[in-house]
Amino acid sequence: MNRRPACEEAETAATAIATGSPLVQIGLPTGTRSTGFEASRRDVLSLMGFSLGALGLGSGCRAPVQHAVPLPAASTEMVPGVPNLYATTCGACSASCGLVVKQRDGRPIKIEGNDASPLTRGGTCAAGQASVLSLYDDARLRGPVWLGNPVSWEEIDRHIKTMLNAGSGDPRAVVLLSQTITSPSALAVLNDFRVAFPSFRHVVYDPMSLAALREANRLAHGAAVVPHFRFDRARVVVGLEADFLGTWLAPVEFARQWSRRRTADGERAFHVQCESGMSVTGSNADLRLAIAPSELGPFAVALLAAVARRVSDDGLAGLRGAGLAPDAPHAAAIDRIADALARHRGEALVVTGSNDVATQLVVAKLNALLGGVGKTVDLEQPSLQRQGDDAQVADLIQQMNRGAVRALIVWGANPVYDHPDGVAFTAALKKVPLTISLADRRDETGAHVRALCPDHHFLESWGDAEPVRGQFSLRQPLIAPLHDTRSGVESLLVWAGRPTDHRTRLRDFWQRELHPRALGAGPFEGFWERSLERGVVEMPQPAVAVHAFAGDWQGAVRDIVTRGGRPPTEAYELALQETVGARDGRHANNPWLQELPDPITRLTWGNVACIAPATAAAQGITTGDVVTLTTEVGKLELPAFVQPGQERRTISVAIGYGRWAAGKAGDGVGGNVFPLVRVENGLRRASAPVTLSKTGRRARLAPAQTHFSMEGRDIVQTMALGQDKHEAEHEHEHEALPNLWRERLHGAHAWGMSIDLDACTGCSACVVACQAENNVPVVGAEQVRKSRIMHWMRIDRYLEGDGEDVISHHQPMMCQHCQHAPCETVCPVLATTTSSEGINQQVYNRCIGTRYCANNCPYKVRRFNWHNFTANDDFPFNMTSPLGRLVLNPDVTVRSRGVMEKCNLCVQRIQLAKNQALLQRRPMADGDVATACQQACPTGAIVFGDLADAQSRVSKLLAGRRAYRVLEDLGTRPNVGYLKKITSKETT
Amino acid sequence: MTERYMVGSFAEPGPLLSAVATLRRAGVAIHDVFAPYPVHGLDQAMGIRRSRLPWVTLLAGLTGLTFALAFQYYTAVFDWPLDVGGKPENSTLAFVPICFELTVLIGGLGTAGAFFLRARLFPGKREQLPVLGVTNNVFAIVTHVPRESNDGDLARRIMLEHGADEIEEREGTS
Amino acid sequence: MSAGDIPITTSPAVAPTDLVQPTRWIEGSPSLHRITTDIAQPMEARPGRGWWICFGIASAALLNLLGMVTYLFAKGIGIWGLNNAVGWAFDITNFVFWIGIGHAGTLISAILLLFRQKWRTSINRSAEAMTIFAVMCAGLFPLIHMGRPWDCFFIFPYFPNQRGPLWVNFRSPLVWDVFAISTYFTISLVFWFMGMIPDLATLRDRAVGGIKKFIFRILSMGWNGSQRTWSRYEIVSLVLAALATPLVLSVHSIVSTDFATSLVPGWHTTIFPPYFVAGAIYSGFGMVLTLLLITRVTMNLQRYITFNHLEAMAKVILLTGSLVGYAYATEFFNAWYSGNVHERFHFINRATGPYAWCFYLMVLCNVLTPQVFWWKRARRSIPVLFVASILINVGMWFERFVIIVVGLHRNFLPSAWGMFYPTVFDIGILIGVFGLFFTLFLLFIRALPMIAMWEIKGVSHD
Repeated sequence: MNRRPACEEAETAATAIATGSPLVQIGLPTGTRSTGFEASRRDVLSLMGFSLGALGLGSGCRAPVQHAVPLPAASTEMVPGVPNLYATTCGACSASCGLVVKQRDGRPIKIEGNDASPLTRGGTCAAGQASVLSLYDDARLRGPVWLGNPVSWEEIDRHIKTMLNAGSGDPRAVVLLSQTITSPSALAVLNDFRVAFPSFRHVVYDPMSLAALREANRLAHGAAVVPHFRFDRARVVVGLEADFLGTWLAPVEFARQWSRRRTADGERAFHVQCESGMSVTGSNADLRLAIAPSELGPFAVALLAAVARRVSDDGLAGLRGAGLAPDAPHAAAIDRIADALARHRGEALVVTGSNDVATQLVVAKLNALLGGVGKTVDLEQPSLQRQGDDAQVADLIQQMNRGAVRALIVWGANPVYDHPDGVAFTAALKKVPLTISLADRRDETGAHVRALCPDHHFLESWGDAEPVRGQFSLRQPLIAPLHDTRSGVESLLVWAGRPTDHRTRLRDFWQRELHPRALGAGPFEGFWERSLERGVVEMPQPAVAVHAFAGDWQGAVRDIVTRGGRPPTEAYELALQETVGARDGRHANNPWLQELPDPITRLTWGNVACIAPATAAAQGITTGDVVTLTTEVGKLELPAFVQPGQERRTISVAIGYGRWAAGKAGDGVGGNVFPLVRVENGLRRASAPVTLSKTGRRARLAPAQTHFSMEGRDIVQTMALGQDKHEAEHEHEHEALPNLWRERLHGAHAWGMSIDLDACTGCSACVVACQAENNVPVVGAEQVRKSRIMHWMRIDRYLEGDGEDVISHHQPMMCQHCQHAPCETVCPVLATTTSSEGINQQVYNRCIGTRYCANNCPYKVRRFNWHNFTANDDFPFNMTSPLGRLVLNPDVTVRSRGVMEKCNLCVQRIQLAKNQALLQRRPMADGDVATACQQACPTGAIVFGDLADAQSRVSKLLAGRRAYRVLEDLGTRPNVGYLKKITSKETT
Repeated sequence: MTERYMVGSFAEPGPLLSAVATLRRAGVAIHDVFAPYPVHGLDQAMGIRRSRLPWVTLLAGLTGLTFALAFQYYTAVFDWPLDVGGKPENSTLAFVPICFELTVLIGGLGTAGAFFLRARLFPGKREQLPVLGVTNNVFAIVTHVPRESNDGDLARRIMLEHGADEIEEREGTS
Repeated sequence: MSAGDIPITTSPAVAPTDLVQPTRWIEGSPSLHRITTDIAQPMEARPGRGWWICFGIASAALLNLLGMVTYLFAKGIGIWGLNNAVGWAFDITNFVFWIGIGHAGTLISAILLLFRQKWRTSINRSAEAMTIFAVMCAGLFPLIHMGRPWDCFFIFPYFPNQRGPLWVNFRSPLVWDVFAISTYFTISLVFWFMGMIPDLATLRDRAVGGIKKFIFRILSMGWNGSQRTWSRYEIVSLVLAALATPLVLSVHSIVSTDFATSLVPGWHTTIFPPYFVAGAIYSGFGMVLTLLLITRVTMNLQRYITFNHLEAMAKVILLTGSLVGYAYATEFFNAWYSGNVHERFHFINRATGPYAWCFYLMVLCNVLTPQVFWWKRARRSIPVLFVASILINVGMWFERFVIIVVGLHRNFLPSAWGMFYPTVFDIGILIGVFGLFFTLFLLFIRALPMIAMWEIKGVSHD
């Protein structure tokens, strides 16, 4: 018995494989830093300094980063083999979530959510989880490039400064075209720039913009802001083409808020989603309506009218009968929704992602009418994300063409790729004397500029963020810059003639601007230390001045009504869709995200044209047929995908694909749909009329799942809202299966997991988290086609019914850790056994790869290394690149060819927690261990713990009435259980 | 010391059989009979006792059985017990197939080995043929010929009566 | 007849004429010498063109096998069409197929010996050789189907091993396989060799000096046809036959537990052991028939392998084929009768799913084909027998394919469903193994007596 742990040892045995080789090679590809790892390691040490927390235990405690301290002291911080955790801020999108990043031997290897963040409470998204891999992306620039030649920073600065200062007094503008900047300190830097160059202008750019929302709020409430939506305060949520659980605005925060009102007991929120294409949000709604983009406005008007009828409000008389014709579809549904909304005035929230001002205005009126303003819609402490202004961008292009711009700095934006009129933008670029890109790679836009001044990856740089007014968050470097890059802020400061290093600048800004507002924060030093350590700070800001709704909503209604709904022609509508994997395309070269199966289509490596089953049947189109989508501005060939739930006359296409300068992994994957839409009166549309035609060719998709029906098997079990209470007396009905053998005794623990199918939205953050934590290889499209995807955790999707209204379920599926495991009995060489702590463990160096275990696994969660997926040029992904291998987790064996692998409940984390408990001379407590998937989950759907401890959360959950085991009747006795999904067709 | 033998060769098994029978009735000591294939009834005619080799088979088989059972029990229960699919460490039923196979294996090999020992057959052994073609189409009777007696003539006469093709007397070491 | 009641004077060479003639298994009444020369002829004459053509094709296929297996070891089994859903396909299909082929040999030589069936004598030698070669072919697959074949020795209980006293999992049917197949191979080899010793002696005495005599002398172990040895020899043959009979039944029963002990719908069935054994004998006889129909003509042994032999085998095929058909029906009935949703789905999918064509091909070949043998004329018609024997082997290969692949590609969780499409390497190795088999067999008929001379002599002269 005492020799059992050997099996766990075996897992960590080959750590050297994971770390050794890359560590020594790190410098090589980086050109300028070809001094090997030792050099960069020393930099890391001097940069990290020692941490207060780490002095004690080393591992597990977050610590702030200070300036260089003597190496002996530093070495006490970096205990080899012990991870350090540092708080920082995510840079994957403008949501700027608070993060805690795990650093091993000076390398950031895993991104986790920051529990201290009041917005996300430890949640993350798939893109955020994957962004650590982008740090080690081979496509990143190694240093500045001037006119295509690598140069030194000094030289390129000289060129740029001379050109910038040459025309002092030159009326032509110096323009910074940037993504939404949520960093207050960076925005302050822009002011310096403005001083240096009076003609300076800052244009904010978002590929999926919310300009109309801000405009509508300006008209309605006198403040052009993106409100801070509070789903946690809403009893009724109506989403109109806004995928707020998956991609819209701040999905991690919203998912958490939303799930807090979706509890099985107590007041459960009623969620209605109206959208054209099936989204993560729609797949989780209690009521989902398929609505074409052009119907959105009329629908909103009809909803307003219906609500108005219920809440008697003067001045709404004009509305009667407005909007959709009474015979319009959804008329009944609209009444039902209106009832729900009206019943919960002050607790209702309507959000729309439409980029049409009139529609946004009507929705704003709805929220005002329902008393949401100030409650569910916070305008006074608004969100500072997605500040893109389409009108200014359009105006900028005109000015560039007119030659009114003498310098253009592009920072974090890539308009040549993702602007509807990228071609025109490219042409306009040519007319600007000085064009600079701060992108980390020579991307589509970078290919047309004179100077490439690569910015740090966010894990290499300092910074801060204010995603929501009053909610601050700090960013600190986790590693010395891998390449000869420079923080964008420093670049701007240098060119503005105020060279300062980023950290000093940041610190000064916080000392000068923020510290005074932090009430009772004490002296700045302590405040700074605490802030860095905690990562997030709440500092109340003066409220934005807003007034009660005073917008001309009648005008808006009139616009919508006169504009009419769907054009009567037989034309289809194209709808751009943002997906959790690809997002807006900036992460295109991240193989983890490319291979992340979309939670809805379950497709990897590419986008498709989603077509409704009815339409597909009528057109004789089947999944895989290549179709041509033609709008008045462009055309695109894509494989068709028959998508139940898709609106009949709408074709949804995911954005973020079809890049041509992203890098090896991202180039030429899928098709770029941005050029198919237009910018109309200053707003970029997310939809357009489109014609559909078959090419007769077929494409081979790369799906991770091909069958979506449960075939009448109760795999995902549901219960009606409140049913669990009724069933209280029937508890005994659930009898246990007899055991053929006497129960085997367990060790101190019996690790188990509970997965709440009601809370799981399918966002897939856990899938990437698992991949990052467990060194799961990327296998590429061809292997996925052969259904050889390696993910240890997958999110199965099942559909009930087809056509337009379908019920969909998401079910995270990984090794169920059966106590009567079918896989173990059949393994000839004892390569898989149950540990003394109930973990079904796989011993890689004993496995000979008969695959009998996988055949005998009813859950099909075992994954086989069909090839050598690591360090093999046939699979040119991160594990094959010396740089990419830096992301590998040293605690987890990199599996060789021909062995079986699968989820092991993050056994390395369990061991770490055990060691800590041992060092602290205390028994392990519930919650000491969080598996990677659990930590990543924004809705807390996954709970891991000790089933031997009856008081642990997981024990209580799995003892509850909602608990069940998948395929329980097979008698496999899994330690992983599921909580039934709640179906509520009405509001409570 | 050398011994004298009478070797009579036959073309057909019938005459051979009757010759052997007659010789025995006449009390002639038959050293051995050689044939290209086992002639039915020759054992009885020569009065050869049924071989005891099957007992070897039984012993060897039981050895295999015992070893298999003991070995599996030892490895699975004592040497390194592991939790395999929650099954009991001593999953006796699962041990049955291997017990059976080893019984057959050891039993079979033991029998074959015992046969070769008993029949003094080993690779490369020089064959001792009474007459050529005894492995092809000739049958042969070899009788002992005691020196001080006329058994030799008797044997010769009986064989001739039963149609022996040729008869010769030989010296040979036993 | 015993020696006691023979009057000295009568010449037993003249058989009583008033008795009914039993079936004659040898045509004409060749002299003992004639039998020897006839059977030794293929080994002593120069090979004909027919042999060379067959050998050329077979060895080409064998070379292909070597090449592909080398590539397989270099690249990994990813070059096959296997995937997460379907972890076994051609590899294990071929394994079970070849193991099945082997069974006819042991059956003919052991069981028919116990039943005193004289007709076995003409075919048992080649059937046993076929068993040996088939088991060699089968044994190849457990090795090459492994993800890490270089660690294949892990599957043997050896000591000390890399992680202390870690033995093997005696609960796993794969370990049972290892023991069953190695035992089966050893015992068959012993049985085959024992049976050949007298003939080797005959060849030794025919050989005119030189290397040939030297080799045969070593192999024949100084056999000299002594009756005392003969008598022990026959006892030992009976003992070995008595051991081999349960062995042959156990081997395919154990192979069937690879599936029966799992919980995969379509695999998890208690009728598998008898069903597999019947199928094995069935396919084995199919293969024996194919081989003999060719060799008896090419090696002009029509006299010894007569229509009576062929007809007897046709009857066995009819019996076992009908058993197999009955097993198919039983599976479907049980699936329906069990009411188990997964089991039912599996069999509906087997008959209507993407691999339905394999299922119907299998039924056509295995159930319908043998029914022609109800007619005596079919049983004695060379073309019919030949076509049938080929179809039967095709059908039996597909039976294993259907069981394995259809069972795996759609089971419990629909989200994990997949398809298997063979690659060029799957097919190449399938063909290559036939090359290995026929190469060995062709060499065998040139180097060793493919018919047991001494047994024929016994049969023809009693």
